[in-house]
Amino acid sequence: MRLAHLWDQSRCIGCGACIAACNAANYRSTTKDNPTWGGVQTNIKRIVFDLKEKPYILLVQCQHCENAPCVAVCPTGASYIDRDGLVKINPDLCIGCKYCMTACPYGMRWLDPDFGLPEKCMGETCQSRVKAGLMPVCVTVCPAGARAFGDLDDPNSEVNKRLKKGRVVRLLEYKGTRPKFFVVVGR
Amino acid sequence: MMFQEVWNPVIIGLFLWFAGIAGMGSVAYALMKLGKVEEKTKELSCVVFASIVLALVFVVADLSRPLNMPLAIIRSVLSGTFFYKLSTSWMTIGISLLSILLLLALLVLLRETVAKGLQKIVDAKWYLVLTGFVGFMVVIYSGFLIADAPGVPFWNNSLIPVLWILSASICAIAVLKILVHKPEVSNFLTKSGLAVDIAEAVALASLLNVSLYSGVEAARRSAEALVAGELAAAFWLLVVLVGVAVPMVLGFMLLRKEDRRLALLAAACALVGALALRILVLQAGIFLELSL
Repeated sequence: MRLAHLWDQSRCIGCGACIAACNAANYRSTTKDNPTWGGVQTNIKRIVFDLKEKPYILLVQCQHCENAPCVAVCPTGASYIDRDGLVKINPDLCIGCKYCMTACPYGMRWLDPDFGLPEKCMGETCQSRVKAGLMPVCVTVCPAGARAFGDLDDPNSEVNKRLKKGRVVRLLEYKGTRPKFFVVVGR
Repeated sequence: MMFQEVWNPVIIGLFLWFAGIAGMGSVAYALMKLGKVEEKTKELSCVVFASIVLALVFVVADLSRPLNMPLAIIRSVLSGTFFYKLSTSWMTIGISLLSILLLLALLVLLRETVAKGLQKIVDAKWYLVLTGFVGFMVVIYSGFLIADAPGVPFWNNSLIPVLWILSASICAIAVLKILVHKPEVSNFLTKSGLAVDIAEAVALASLLNVSLYSGVEAARRSAEALVAGELAAAFWLLVVLVGVAVPMVLGFMLLRKEDRRLALLAAACALVGALALRILVLQAGIFLELSL
C-alpha cells in the first residue's frame, strides 16, 4: 500500500478550509502560533508567490516521500514509514533533536511548543480517520474538490484516476526523495 | 531574510566547537604519546575531557525533548533500530562516537591524574590509536551532521566536513600552543598552525564561492548574508580577521622568533574564530524555497 495526497492547483480556490480543518481536527482549534512557520498550528503550509502579473499559491504538506530524508536521519527510528506508505512519528522514540526538520527539503515539519515534538501531516485525528477507511479532513472539507487521497497501488483509487487525467508535477523531484504528494497544474 | 531557527546557532555552535576541540585534542594526545612527547599531556587530557562533557551538555541543551532521551535511546537500542540507524543517520553515529570518546577520555584523564595504574591500558599503542581514531571520527561526524541536511543547501555541501576538520585542527594546535612552553615544540606548532590556517582560508573561500555560484538560490542567499549581508560584519571581523588573518600574520612573525605572548594571542584568536565560524555557518542556514 502506498497512500498519497493530490492537490489540484487548477481547482483550488484558496479558501483555506483545508488549513482550518487540519487545525480544528488535529490541534483542537488552538489559536496558539505555529512557532516554526508562523500562523496557526496546522500541517498545511500556504506559500504565496507574488509574481505581480500572475500571483499563485502553493499549498504544501508532508510529501510522504518513499525515500524520506527525515526518516533516514532520525537517530532513534522515531520517524518511520508505516506499512501504508505514510511517514509517521513515534513520540516515545523522539528525543527532539530536530534533525528531521533540517533534513526535510520541503520544510514540512514544525515544532510543537508544548511537547517539543516535530509535527507534520498526518495529525493523529487524520491517521485515525484513514485507519477507519475515511479521508483525511483536508480532503473531506475542500469545497472545490481540489484534493484527493488514496492508494497508488490501487488502479481504481481517486488519486490514480486523477493522475491519469491531469498534468502533474512533484516538488523537488531532483532531490531523489520520491515524494507522494502530487500537484495537478492543468489538464 | 529568513534564517533557519530549528537549531540554535549559539548552542549548537558551541557543541560543534567543543566536539572539534575534544576530537582533534584526542588526536593530538595520541600523537604526542606515540611520539613520546610527555609535556603537558595531563593538562591536555583535562581539556579533552572537559570539552567532550561540555559538548554533550550543549547538544542536550538544544533538544526539545531532553527528558525523553534516555528512555528513547534505550528503547531504540533494545529494538535493534539504533544499530540499523548507524547506516543511515549521522546523529546515531555521533551519539555512539561521543559516548565512546567520553569513556576513552575519562580513562585517559584518570591515568594522567589519580589512577596511574591505568597506564598499562591507556598507554598501550592500540588504546592511543583507538582514542585518536575515535576523536578524528567525532570531528568528521560534526561536519557531516550538518552537511547531511538536504533541507539547507548552504550546509548540504561536501566542503563543510573538510572545513570542520581544518578548523578543529587549528583549535587543537591553539590549545597545545597555550599549554606547551618548549621552544622546539612551540615552533613545530607554529609551522603546523600556519599550514592549516592557509588550508582553512582556501576551504572557506571555496565554500562561499561554490555557494554563491552553484545556482541554488537558498545557498546563494546564505553565502551573500555572510559576505555582504546581515552577518557580514560578524563574519569579516570574527571569522576572517580574528580567526584567520591575525593568527596567520602572527604565525609568520612567530616563524622568525617565538614569543610567548604573541603565541598566546594567536591561539586565542584562532579559538574565537573557530567558534564564530560554526555559529555563523549555522546562523546563515536558509531552507530551500519551494516553487512549481
